[in-house]
Amino acid sequence: MKRIVEAYIGEYASGKSENAINRALELKQAGFEVTLVDLDTVEPFYTLRPLKAWLEDRGITVVGWGPKDSFGLGEAGGLVKPAARWVLRREGAVILDIGYGVYGAKTLNLLEGADRDPDLQVLAVINTARPMTATKEDIVEYVSNLGRVDGLVSNSHLGSETTVDFIVEGHRVIMEAAAELGIPVVCVAVEDSLRDEALQADFSGVSVRFINRYMPGAMW
Amino acid sequence: MEKPITGTMKAFMTGNEIVAWAALAAQADIMFGYPITPQNEIMHYWTRLAPKYKREFLQTEDEISAGFTVCGAVQAGRKAFTATAGPGNVLMQEPFGMAEAMRLPIVAVIQQRGGPSSGTVVYSQQEVTLTTYGGNGEGHRIVYSTSTHQEIFDYVIKAFNTAWKYRFPTFVMGDGYQAKMREPLEIYDPEERGLAIEPARPLVGLPGSIGVDREPAHLCNIYSLEEELYEVVLELDRAYQEIAPQVVEYEEKMCDDAEIIVLSHGVVSRAADDAVKTLREKGINAGYFRHITLRPFPAQQLRDAIKKSGARKILVAESSYGQLMRLVRQEIYGETVEICGLLKPGVGIVDHDIFDKVKELL
Repeated sequence: MKRIVEAYIGEYASGKSENAINRALELKQAGFEVTLVDLDTVEPFYTLRPLKAWLEDRGITVVGWGPKDSFGLGEAGGLVKPAARWVLRREGAVILDIGYGVYGAKTLNLLEGADRDPDLQVLAVINTARPMTATKEDIVEYVSNLGRVDGLVSNSHLGSETTVDFIVEGHRVIMEAAAELGIPVVCVAVEDSLRDEALQADFSGVSVRFINRYMPGAMW
Repeated sequence: MEKPITGTMKAFMTGNEIVAWAALAAQADIMFGYPITPQNEIMHYWTRLAPKYKREFLQTEDEISAGFTVCGAVQAGRKAFTATAGPGNVLMQEPFGMAEAMRLPIVAVIQQRGGPSSGTVVYSQQEVTLTTYGGNGEGHRIVYSTSTHQEIFDYVIKAFNTAWKYRFPTFVMGDGYQAKMREPLEIYDPEERGLAIEPARPLVGLPGSIGVDREPAHLCNIYSLEEELYEVVLELDRAYQEIAPQVVEYEEKMCDDAEIIVLSHGVVSRAADDAVKTLREKGINAGYFRHITLRPFPAQQLRDAIKKSGARKILVAESSYGQLMRLVRQEIYGETVEICGLLKPGVGIVDHDIFDKVKELL
């Protein structure tokens, strides 16, 4: 089975964790052994931690602290779980949820072998409802400052107020930005509740990844 | 100057990021700040946005300095603000006291965090006492408490207007959850909506000769005579009481026939709103009263709600051990309604917590 290694990076609230969780569950269903890595180095309280046990019940290996495993260091940030350093040596699919948008892909430096892993794909999650990535120019400037980016995840949404028209318009802008950046849009993420309408929509041939929202279940 | 927002835009953001955009929309000139969780992204986004729109930022050596630099900038006629939390809010009480004494139109965003401690970074609503009455003064401040992301945008803009219109230090209080949560809202240019932006103006170095063309701009922060201080504080209070009716804000729902009124502020009001609706569906006459301004306190409005409803009980729901409840007690002294609490310092409150407590009380 082909090895899959994907790192999700992007702005606060762009949808990194949501896309990483959904991708992990999708690959698990497809028969992969899946390791999901929580790599938020700054504020480890506001991550997918509360969902760790739930994900493990579904057969996903989660590398990251659970709510009771670690203690807070307050302003000093958080300790990266030592096992995270070696995750690229694991079999199966490795999905990395990289917190803290401004540092972009730099956090990957913490992982052994990140600079030479042949399968690693660094994916920037883009939501055009975020004013800093709302236009083609903004996205190009933003992605250009992230360091290595191999592809974009088209993830325009307004939370519970999302419409398919909004996703389609956001996707159009993201496609233009991707063309200028010379990188592909690997998929367009659409909340599953909009499935029927989204199947009729034109996403310029980009595959649609239907996702569920799990993070609202994380009350910190 | 290029406008940061034109028209109305649907956006999906964290609360902290919204503060930065709202300050831009309110035409703030400069932020002074010192990093502290959970407000850091206010600074992060402001520093990313400020150069683009010709605004400025200075990271000072600590919170005391951040507060004082805001005091200095507003005297020079610059629309200045800061943001802090927890122990940063403690340190800023000295400059906030100066702002009270000199009636400086400073704006501070407080993203409350837990205590007592210097290092606890998690959610809480334990900075009510500190933000309303902290410092060695009488609490001549204006404090808004927001409950949705839309309100964070609206009230940060409003805070700048209030500060510059009335010249009292003005605070917008959120919390660790509101800072980090993400939800949709509309961001807009206030002037395009017919919302006038109160201009900043210098408070010192004014044109004209003192004693000939104008009175001196006497902004004093040091009093050496007890009688003088007495007069100053009484004058401050008179001015504060005069503007209070124009500033006070609250939200009241279903209180006309309420047996019990649920009181809350900030993010807990979301749970209170849901709980009261569910209680009504179950045939229980519950009412909802929320303090949007914690200073000035909507005391008469709350007394009126108690009177017209004939409520026997009040339930104060808050993520602190009675800070809002203490304010309520002092402000409605003399009312015979029983005041009960759902007091959970550091812990979030959801609708069924309130629902269960109301059932227990009735």
